[in-house]
Amino acid sequence: MDPFEILSLPRRPFLDDEEIATAYRKLAGALHPDQQGGDAAAFRELGEAAAILRDPARRLKELAGISASHPFPEKAAELFSKVAEILQRSDALIAQTGMASNALTKALLMAPLKSLSLDLSSVQEQLSTWRIFLEEEIQRIDRHWPESDPETLSHLADSFAYADRWSSQLRERELALEAILG
Amino acid sequence: MIAGIDLGTTNSLIGVYESGFPTLLADTDGRRLLPSVVHYGDSILVGHEARRMQAIHPNRTISSVKRLIGKRFGEEGTEGLTGIPGAPVTIPIGGQNLSPEEISAEILKKLKAIAEARHGTEITRAVITVPAYFNDAQRAATRKAGELAGFSVERIVSEPTAAALAYGLDRLQDRSKIAVYDLGGGTFDLSILQLDNGVFQVLSTHGDTRLGGDDLDQAIAALVASKASLPRLSLPDTIRLHEAARLAKETLSTEEQSTIRLPFLEGGMNIEVMLTRAEIEGACSPIIRRTRIHCLRALEDAGIKAADLDQVILVGGSTRMPLVQHLVVEIFGKEPNLSQHPDESVALGAILQGAILDGSLQNVALLDITPLSLGIETFGGLMNVIIPRNTTIPAKAGEMFTNAVAGQSGMRITVLQGERELAADNWKLGGFEIPFAPSPKGAARVGVQFSIDADGILQVLARDTGTGIEKIVEIKSAVEVSDEAVEAMLAGSLEHAFEDMDARIFTEARLKAEEMLPAVEAALAQLAGELPPDEIAGIRHQTAEVTAALQSKETVRLKQTLANLDNATQSLATRLIERAMKIS
Repeated sequence: MDPFEILSLPRRPFLDDEEIATAYRKLAGALHPDQQGGDAAAFRELGEAAAILRDPARRLKELAGISASHPFPEKAAELFSKVAEILQRSDALIAQTGMASNALTKALLMAPLKSLSLDLSSVQEQLSTWRIFLEEEIQRIDRHWPESDPETLSHLADSFAYADRWSSQLRERELALEAILG
Repeated sequence: MIAGIDLGTTNSLIGVYESGFPTLLADTDGRRLLPSVVHYGDSILVGHEARRMQAIHPNRTISSVKRLIGKRFGEEGTEGLTGIPGAPVTIPIGGQNLSPEEISAEILKKLKAIAEARHGTEITRAVITVPAYFNDAQRAATRKAGELAGFSVERIVSEPTAAALAYGLDRLQDRSKIAVYDLGGGTFDLSILQLDNGVFQVLSTHGDTRLGGDDLDQAIAALVASKASLPRLSLPDTIRLHEAARLAKETLSTEEQSTIRLPFLEGGMNIEVMLTRAEIEGACSPIIRRTRIHCLRALEDAGIKAADLDQVILVGGSTRMPLVQHLVVEIFGKEPNLSQHPDESVALGAILQGAILDGSLQNVALLDITPLSLGIETFGGLMNVIIPRNTTIPAKAGEMFTNAVAGQSGMRITVLQGERELAADNWKLGGFEIPFAPSPKGAARVGVQFSIDADGILQVLARDTGTGIEKIVEIKSAVEVSDEAVEAMLAGSLEHAFEDMDARIFTEARLKAEEMLPAVEAALAQLAGELPPDEIAGIRHQTAEVTAALQSKETVRLKQTLANLDNATQSLATRLIERAMKIS
């Protein structure tokens, strides 16, 4: 299966989100099994292909071909310790709040929760700065395309995978805090 | 012809697609809304007749049965019903135990009869709507109810998605992003869709299947009871009070004040209570505010900001409350779109989905999603997501697994639905065993593939890549538990049945006291210098009372003193929260 071919999109590192979404919708509207001439198997494949292209990590892996494992990206290693620390702190504090059986115990936790929420935003901000840098990297590689080395591509793919996973893990905690703090 | 049905918590509707238009069908009295109430007397009554019987024969009449569909005893929402924890819920009524599906089927039968009388032909095919956030068991049970009523159920469609279809039908050329805020009688959903040239793509959905108008009625009833200092009411009087609360809520959506009069309550009581809109808004606000976080989550999952939305469409009877509309403005920063009939648009959408399925409505495609993540349990008891929530269906996805232990001769595939990290916290849909030849750790490789069809039915395929042995299992309704499983659960629950109730209640209160006493000390230390001396003295007095009650080992006394301490420290809690909010 070639996801680029399925969506009739150019085989390039950079693809605009909106472009993928529009190409997907157009094909999906016609292939959906409820439609006359629809095809459930082709629709499922289209969905898989679009999911690969939407995710920069999977898209770059697709371009690089399957590659062996490689070292942890340097910037990722630096952010990892921050992310791990704050996730642990969040889970502990959120669990403690959930177990509080009276209003006073909960109220005592409000100040630490508020500081935590500020720290979460700060780490989230560092992640998003990194993500912007990665986006620029894609654009840079795209300008020289198809000249590139597979090592750089898979390195970038891994970085995206980490950035996105961590960001959604942090977001999950931010929303949990949001629900507590109102 | 495929009928469209909105099987609501409070009211239900049916309609068909006729000469190019979705048409709702009314009963002989011209009413389109059928109350979702069933009465089991000499004969079975459904709808308006059943609702009239509710205050007279509360034990033989059931309303809001949708809140129980697809549930098991012991789950949230089944409080007050007794049964073996883990077994499918049944409701004792008129001397028999009925499942929620059977009761819902009576409502569907009545709708079928109304439609057939109106339309003059037999109607055997239907699309039925469910809350978007219903899980697999709740959807399967709804489908079963349809089948029991004599329908071939062509599709189960999500309510907000259906409402979006009704909204978008005369805007087929549009390209826009919309949110549908659906607050019904018992459930809340928020769905975000992209409309693009006749394609309706659901981007995300979030919700609470236990948050709706019923909860608002309950809050208002509690408010009336406290204003009138009512004693504990009998069941028929409670039902009258709830009905009055519901009417007051409706009146106060347009008026500023309303008087509740309930003459001739048991014991010769008459009550007359004046309510203002501000008062009921105070009581309802905490409930309605719970919808906010779901809106934020849905926006997050759709990857958009509130400002990117072109319209926020309100549906569901409870969105008539001005308070709801204000909150929507607060969350989304724009005035809501009130163009849709709050009670009818979901049913209209169901009719349209039926018309797409039978080919009478062309060039319209609905791309729905699976609202909850699907995955399998991994070796460490964690949930491994295979198909993430908000994936467009039909869909497929797969992953490769290896054996975690050397010499293992098979792998148990447990299929889960839900968003929690621990497997045990998610809903278990089913499981099976895939055998493989014993091999060193990591050497056996099993490919697991999930495939969902347009109805949301999941098929799981597991293949041992070594031997090529494969197993395909269709995951059926999780609500149907085998007899052996029920017996096993029964045996398990009996072991705990003889625990000393009083000892347990005392232990709970003791744990609470042990948490509360140090919390009071910590709060007093933090707020030293801010509190008036007499308040400190008052709190000290209450803590001493709790300590004495702990030593006395008297359960009732401990619970009472704890409640007093809770009261005495209310202002401490408020001060702490105010302080915390100043941190920036």
